[in-house]
Amino acid sequence: MRHVATRPAIEHPKALTEPVVLILMSLAAQPRHGYALIKDIEALSRHRVRLSTGTLYGALRRLLDEGWIERFEQEDTSRDKQAYRLTSEGRRQLEFELDRFRELSRAGFARLRLGEA
Amino acid sequence: MGAVFRVLLYLYPQRHRELLGSEMQAVFEQGAQEHRLLGPSQYLRFVLLEVCGLVLHAAIAQFANATRRGYLENHVRSTLAPAQDIPHEVIEAQNRLAVNINQLSFAISHHQFVQARFYKNEERKAREHLRQMQEKYGFRDPQPLP
Repeated sequence: MRHVATRPAIEHPKALTEPVVLILMSLAAQPRHGYALIKDIEALSRHRVRLSTGTLYGALRRLLDEGWIERFEQEDTSRDKQAYRLTSEGRRQLEFELDRFRELSRAGFARLRLGEA
Repeated sequence: MGAVFRVLLYLYPQRHRELLGSEMQAVFEQGAQEHRLLGPSQYLRFVLLEVCGLVLHAAIAQFANATRRGYLENHVRSTLAPAQDIPHEVIEAQNRLAVNINQLSFAISHHQFVQARFYKNEERKAREHLRQMQEKYGFRDPQPLP
């Protein structure tokens, strides 16, 4: 009998908001501090999204509380430039969210093709 | 404008302000510096968006603070303010376990038993990891967890 390992689905109480997904995506590549996050998200979204300071820190606070990201001190910087990085839990949540996007876009394209036929 | 931003930060709950206020101020000032170079209209737009964002999110933070919705800090030691005598790795292990317990409870309460089994395994691993960290740093008495 062949056993196939499948990743169990994570059920969220509610879907992640766009700023949260963008922050997780930005931190997936490397740790960043606040302003670097804003700039990277702007580039990542092709200048469609520019997070305000309030939006950014509201989302960061929530992610810290959930344990999806963590703060750490960079050796050569002050408290104002504490950096953030993904935890293993945060990485897992991002993977699930991106999988969900993939499924959704697959379903969307299938519907489009159905409409064209 | 920095002074106005500093005053507006008082709209946030005290804990949020203490933990993130100086960082928020620094990020705002960096943005303001950049937008000032782009001309008065861009600068004005930036300031308006920042002020609106700040007021809105301060209200959300106050609401969350009052109701504790979405905040784990009632139940676990927060990652934001580790006690100085507890090593970071132990705090991280405690938080990981707390998150797993949270997800396990959620899965059980929503009758998602496949997920619950998965989180049970994850919880076991997290407990073992926490025990190892406590041993590594010589904590004989495990820290109480929810």
